[in-house]
Amino acid sequence: MSASRKHAPEPILSASGIVNRFGRQEVHDKISLDVMSGEILGIAGGSGSGKSVLLKTLTGLRRPNAGKVLLNGKPIDELGNAEKASLIGVLFQQGALFSSLSVAQNIMLPMRQHTNLPPAQQERIAAMKLELAGLPAETGLKLPSQLSGGMVKRAALARALALDPRILFLDEPTSDLDPIAASGIDALIQQLNQSLGITVVIVSHDLTTLFTVCQRVAMLADKKITVDTVDKLMRSHQPWIHDFLHGARAQGAMNARKHAHGTG
Amino acid sequence: MPTPHIPTAPGIAVTGEGNQLALEGVLDIRTLTAAETSLKHWQRAGKSRALDIGKLSGIDTPGALFLCGLRGKGVELTGIREEHKSLLDLICGLELKPLAAPPKVPRWRQLVMGLGKSADETWHDMIDVITFIGRVASATVHALAHPRSLPLPSISRQVAETGINALPIVGIMAVMISVVIGYQGVAQLRPYGGEDFTINLVAVSVMREMGVLITAIMVAGRTGAAFAAEIGVMKSREEIDALEVMGLEPMKLLVVPRVIGLMIALPLLTFFADMMGLLGGAGIAHSLLNVSPLQYLDRVHHALLGSDFFVGLIKAPVFAFLIATVGCMHGLRVRGSAESVGKETTRAVVKAIFLVIVLDALFSIFFEKLGW
Repeated sequence: MSASRKHAPEPILSASGIVNRFGRQEVHDKISLDVMSGEILGIAGGSGSGKSVLLKTLTGLRRPNAGKVLLNGKPIDELGNAEKASLIGVLFQQGALFSSLSVAQNIMLPMRQHTNLPPAQQERIAAMKLELAGLPAETGLKLPSQLSGGMVKRAALARALALDPRILFLDEPTSDLDPIAASGIDALIQQLNQSLGITVVIVSHDLTTLFTVCQRVAMLADKKITVDTVDKLMRSHQPWIHDFLHGARAQGAMNARKHAHGTG
Repeated sequence: MPTPHIPTAPGIAVTGEGNQLALEGVLDIRTLTAAETSLKHWQRAGKSRALDIGKLSGIDTPGALFLCGLRGKGVELTGIREEHKSLLDLICGLELKPLAAPPKVPRWRQLVMGLGKSADETWHDMIDVITFIGRVASATVHALAHPRSLPLPSISRQVAETGINALPIVGIMAVMISVVIGYQGVAQLRPYGGEDFTINLVAVSVMREMGVLITAIMVAGRTGAAFAAEIGVMKSREEIDALEVMGLEPMKLLVVPRVIGLMIALPLLTFFADMMGLLGGAGIAHSLLNVSPLQYLDRVHHALLGSDFFVGLIKAPVFAFLIATVGCMHGLRVRGSAESVGKETTRAVVKAIFLVIVLDALFSIFFEKLGW
């Protein structure tokens, strides 16, 4: 891999013994997952395998029925608001931009709450984040309802980056996007990871994203989780993982991976 | 001006003197303001200045933005650590434009423009309402003319939701209103020795006006808002588009059952409110005037004409049509966002109540001329 990091691999986020259930239905059965500082980790799984529930658990939005999540060494539900905001950024699947605020106001909202920067400085930083997310500065004035799908994702990414979080969670960052926009987002994720050193956790169905961007992939199947590099997962005998990685769609993604690694 | 050690906030420190300064600590969104104020004078003074950032243990993107800004002003950044290089390259490489500011318009022009805009909007709004009323009327009449195609289940559900579920609140309000009128009547008429006429006052005003008006306002707030929000959310989730693509008319499927349902429910509610109003009147008569319920009934019987009852009741379906139509119209006007649903719901309620009262005034004049 091109991204051989200097960081000694240490988990920035560590979940252990996670159990989630709804009524009698168990979604996760004692799952453990370590996210290493500086890596890009993919979380994959079929529909209904509990990807979103896991994401909610890892970000502290949902308290698991059992088990604990340590963020930066501390239990996630004991972190203060400001501390948590400076550690975690989340890109929600539909963007979740506040519809009554302009894009720039969306980005400045966490800065206004958690820092004492003067407004002019906040605006400068917001413009930088927009540019970083690949949006022109004029977009800042627009309302979320005036943006296209790809722009919503980028604007939401700019907001997730507002406080320079250590970990960025991306929920289906490339869903509903055309291939060009999706590749753009993939490249952006890699660039942010390499330049800013942000740890990235991607929940995705998109095999191309999983194969080309992620250094390790966590596969959710059968209430359990299997974490490994794509190459090793390819050799897995677990039937669901095998089908997932060897289907017709996987072939195209595999080619994309070879292409990306051949040229990059 | 040689400053040996510029004081700074915890987290970041500026060391060195003259044109050669060094930053130490962490330059991030929290320490940025401190660093900026410390370096404010320095960055303007003198030439060939250099800033050693080798001792910075951490830089985030706002910090990098600040450093890039310094570099742009001719400050040389020295001792850049390997791990900060790519971040600085990325941020300095961005084509940074200031956030576009909304165009500035003088206050008086804003005022004039706002006036013109709202006049224009009101005009279009009026035309929209009239057009929509026409469309709904034609669709409703068409539906009634083809009773086989009437969506009876959804009409009955609307009657239940808008009528039966509103019974308690409408009943209580009607009793309260007759209590209010009764107390005022007794207080005003007693000096003339005519407090007995309070019974006539309560009976006639509840029958002709208050019963239907209170019910209509209540329903406008309750059901008009519900219609606008229900249809608005459907619209924002593209469900209306889905109906149209499947060749189903939202007008027929969503609007007509609501209109017909409310036109059935509101007269019934009004009748109920009238009765409850009379009941409240009986209570007042008994407690303030010592008139027994039987005597009260007798008095009411003589005080009321048949027309009083019908004048009140005949307004109910008209109000119902208006409330349902305005609610549905604003629901269909929703565009995209959640905020829009809220806005249109508010407008629907305000407009429905406004129209109900305006129409009630017109009815009063109309019935006066007819001599009813």
